[in-house]
Amino acid sequence: MAYLTQPDYVKYICSCGQLKPITNLYFCRHCLKIRCGFCICHEVDSHYCANCLENMPSSEARLKKNRCSSCFACPSCFHTLSTRATLARDPAGGDGKPPKKMYYLSCFNCRWTSRDVGIPDQPVASGGWPERTNPFTTRFNQLLDYYKAIAQQEKQEKLDKERKKFVTRGKYINLTDKTGLTGAMARNIAGLPSSESSSSVISNFVPSQASPDVEELPDDYHLKEIDLKQITRISQRTSCPELQPSLASRLSPRPRALCVKRSQRCRACDHNLTKPEYNPGSVKFKIELLAYYHVPEVKIISYETIKPGGTSALLLKLSNPTAHEMTVKMLQPEDVPDQEDEHKTIEKTLEKSLNLEKDISWNASFPRRPPPPNAGSVNLPAVSLTLAQRDDAAEYDDEPPGDNDDIILWRKSNKLALRLKLTTDAQAKVGSNAYFSFALQYSYRNTVPPSATVVQHSDHTLYTTLILDLGKVCE
Amino acid sequence: MALYEGIALIQEKQAVVLDLGHDYTKFGFTGEAAPRCIIPSSFWSPDEKRYKRVYDYKDEDELYENLVHMLHLLYFRHVLVNPKERKVVVVESLLTPTLFRETLAKVLFMHYEVSGVMWADSARLCALTLGTNITLVVNIGALDAEVVAVVHGSPVIHAIQSGPLGAGAVSAELARLLDEQHGDTLRLTEHVLEDIRVRACFVPGRARALTLDQPGTVEARAVCVTGPERVLTVGGRARERAAEVLFLRDNEMASLPDLVLKCILQCPIDARRELAANVLVTGGGAALTGLKARLAAELRHLVTLPPYRSSLHSLQFSFHRAPCPDSSVSWSGGSLAGAADGGSRALLRDVYCRSRRLRDWPCLLHTTPPDHHHWAELQC
Repeated sequence: MAYLTQPDYVKYICSCGQLKPITNLYFCRHCLKIRCGFCICHEVDSHYCANCLENMPSSEARLKKNRCSSCFACPSCFHTLSTRATLARDPAGGDGKPPKKMYYLSCFNCRWTSRDVGIPDQPVASGGWPERTNPFTTRFNQLLDYYKAIAQQEKQEKLDKERKKFVTRGKYINLTDKTGLTGAMARNIAGLPSSESSSSVISNFVPSQASPDVEELPDDYHLKEIDLKQITRISQRTSCPELQPSLASRLSPRPRALCVKRSQRCRACDHNLTKPEYNPGSVKFKIELLAYYHVPEVKIISYETIKPGGTSALLLKLSNPTAHEMTVKMLQPEDVPDQEDEHKTIEKTLEKSLNLEKDISWNASFPRRPPPPNAGSVNLPAVSLTLAQRDDAAEYDDEPPGDNDDIILWRKSNKLALRLKLTTDAQAKVGSNAYFSFALQYSYRNTVPPSATVVQHSDHTLYTTLILDLGKVCE
Repeated sequence: MALYEGIALIQEKQAVVLDLGHDYTKFGFTGEAAPRCIIPSSFWSPDEKRYKRVYDYKDEDELYENLVHMLHLLYFRHVLVNPKERKVVVVESLLTPTLFRETLAKVLFMHYEVSGVMWADSARLCALTLGTNITLVVNIGALDAEVVAVVHGSPVIHAIQSGPLGAGAVSAELARLLDEQHGDTLRLTEHVLEDIRVRACFVPGRARALTLDQPGTVEARAVCVTGPERVLTVGGRARERAAEVLFLRDNEMASLPDLVLKCILQCPIDARRELAANVLVTGGGAALTGLKARLAAELRHLVTLPPYRSSLHSLQFSFHRAPCPDSSVSWSGGSLAGAADGGSRALLRDVYCRSRRLRDWPCLLHTTPPDHHHWAELQC
């Protein structure tokens, strides 16, 4: 792997303009472009509980409000609760019956137990834990029915109005037409709901009643000793949005929230970039188009300190992760040809004329950050370098040292070390970040046939721009 | 007709309600009584190696990225649904900056490709949870306190009052009092201050508040708060005086009860009595122990003083209790509004894509009536 925990010294410029290390990038084999987490479409693939690793179909997950039915989280510290068993003594006096096993929930992290809040022990280990219901549910449902009825009525009135337009007027003018006002119309003009509501839900609805009394604190509240351990913290309150208990005695075990496995999709071509395996225990993927497996990886071996106006040596390692030979050429970033135009094949134009092309307007709204300014330039050799294909077995071979010259330091199976020269600008400020950038032109053999009829591989020449972070400019 | 509608309801995915507060974000499904999650409005930023707040932005691009990360967290870690092809109800304040609204619209429509967004202001949504026709909504948020009169489903825009009297003001005052008590700048983090404010602070009644500065008053009991680094003694002075900043009157008349009375004063005269009889105090800041009682007492006292005495003296104040905890009242309103009309009021994605424009009340384009003589000019 590249640098897992260290800062990212080598960053690639994604096709959306974001700077990311190679481990965070994807490579779409259909568009032949680098993509990152910011410019792809994430989708929920499957639900599972991270504690018991149990899969849950999405319909069931929706029904259970995305919570596991067997695992509970501590309401105090959010650790997973464990079920503990005790032998219950029969309070009626043991008349020969063996003591029964009873279960309660306990947190091994903060020592909270379900007995603390008065939840009775359960005879079965798996559950039957009482659920605290939301005390506002009934009122909320009343409100919901009321507003649904109003919305329904509004819709009906709208329909009636439209129907009325086509009704031919009668022969005679009645009183309403003459004065132009009825009770219903007057109410309508004032914006009040019409009185003759057909629905019983609307007429039976009771709006909330205000009361002049507000619960006051007792006069000696300031002298009372308060036990802060009995008052919940805000994180404990928000972890239970229905009740938001302010006293620790009102806490209750929360069923653990589920997690999801996500699949990623390229926005431009709608192909999957990654697709995880369904089994929650597995960390493997069914589809895994990561840039780490397709784009040449660059690592910094070492470099001399960067001084304004000076030149310093830079040692880089290039490796080819693909199973095909790769030709790599280094370019200045401004020499990269504009890639937008070259894919305009007949197929594409046909698609466009049929209006099949994906709406890519999201791309326009994207913030495209300009890359950070360079502290200087990299002197690049004008030679094409060939990297052998990746071969895991070659690691164990004793390879004779390859062709060494003043650019190539060493060569070993699919890896290559380069010696480059950096020229730092004389104006570079001491203490500023020393960023250097260059582009790579590399050949890529696409093993995915574009359609079922074409079998042969297609070779492409692709470009990517990198930014090296070489610390600070020194004196 | 009804049958087809039923089918449409099944096919339409349940919409989500987003209340992106300054400190806490409430997120969940429409038609449910409580949000699925209430989480701090911050996310882990791998680039900056710190937790970053959504409202911590310098320009539009940064806000765009913040919103993308925050919504990703909400959709894929907490509510676990695909954002695509699903409608959203956005709960916002009437005073939300245009930049924020437009960027949020861009993120929702373009980045997450939601099918429609219903923009609803929190004052009206708070009033929805009561079912009353005329309501005065006092929303005490993290930064601002906002007083909006909602009369028959429309907010009285010219009477909106707002001031920096949210929970943040209480925290700042608490930090000052604690520094004073310990004779040292403690540099307490926001989390510690919040914890002290929520658990230890209270608002004394009006009778006691008047005696606070008199010599010989017995101070409130001190408590010890265990923080992440040390145990801090919070004196009685800090405990009961932190929220006094909300009731501090000066010549500008910008205290919390003043805001409420000024709002009533600027409302139409025939709605004033009803407004005073239907006050709803909500928002996370309103959950502070004793705050509602104190506000009621202050209002009843202040209304007998000039300049309110002449026009408001006979008002009787009554208070509502919303059918949900204080911090999620506007969210619950959004949940009701989104579920009631099945998303027919939402701004659809294709409409937005065509014009790239949001309706907004300060914009003349959307508020000029068609019979106004400037209407024709605005259309071109």
